[in-house]
Amino acid sequence: MARDDSASLDEQLNWKAAAAGWLLPGLGQILLGHRQRGIYAMVGVLGLFVGGLFLGGVDCVDRREDALWFYAQAGAGPIAFGADYANGALLKSGRVGELVESPTPFGSRAPPPQVSTLKSVTLMNEIGTLYCALAGLMNLVVIMDALKRVPREAEGER
Amino acid sequence: MSHLLLAQIPFLAPFTALGVYWWILMVPLVFGIAVVYRATHDASLDRFWTRAGLFTVKSMVAMMGLALALYLFVYLVIPILPAD
Repeated sequence: MARDDSASLDEQLNWKAAAAGWLLPGLGQILLGHRQRGIYAMVGVLGLFVGGLFLGGVDCVDRREDALWFYAQAGAGPIAFGADYANGALLKSGRVGELVESPTPFGSRAPPPQVSTLKSVTLMNEIGTLYCALAGLMNLVVIMDALKRVPREAEGER
Repeated sequence: MSHLLLAQIPFLAPFTALGVYWWILMVPLVFGIAVVYRATHDASLDRFWTRAGLFTVKSMVAMMGLALALYLFVYLVIPILPAD
């Protein structure tokens, strides 16, 4: 009996919509027929993420240096991985701005690390990082909503 | 502020033009959260933007109240507590 219950619950969950919601925030709701709701969610999540990038620069998303923050930011979907790639390809490579030597950590014998002159180290970096992380966490809410939301065409049957 | 805006390279360099008024950025942050919360939580999307705005205002007022309470506790209550 319990197995039947779990199977029916599994059928009720919209796994494809949830996956689509990770690829593009709000897309899960749109695929389920809740177009307006999906667009609002998309505006909220992408607004927070793009706002964070605008405030702190692409350096706010850094998979290697700020791994814990990135776990939250990755909830926003491929856009987070794109921002991390842009950070590496533009700033860390020195393609934009200049690379300068930063002080070697005390006691380290490693050569001085090179950092971009555009590296975001101010308060705005923290705020931008927070915006992007909250965008990722809010998208998890949107994904869970898409997972459990009844499709528009099935609403009339209930 | 204008010279700071000229130095800004959008999406590459941090936006520093707000200076000491950085805390204003809490408003759009809370509004973004409100938009997503309302989009997923409300059964009806009627008056969506009004309700998202109200959620933002209520959240801001609550945070300001907590900040005020903490300020009063640190500067008024703690100094009058016995030291030992």
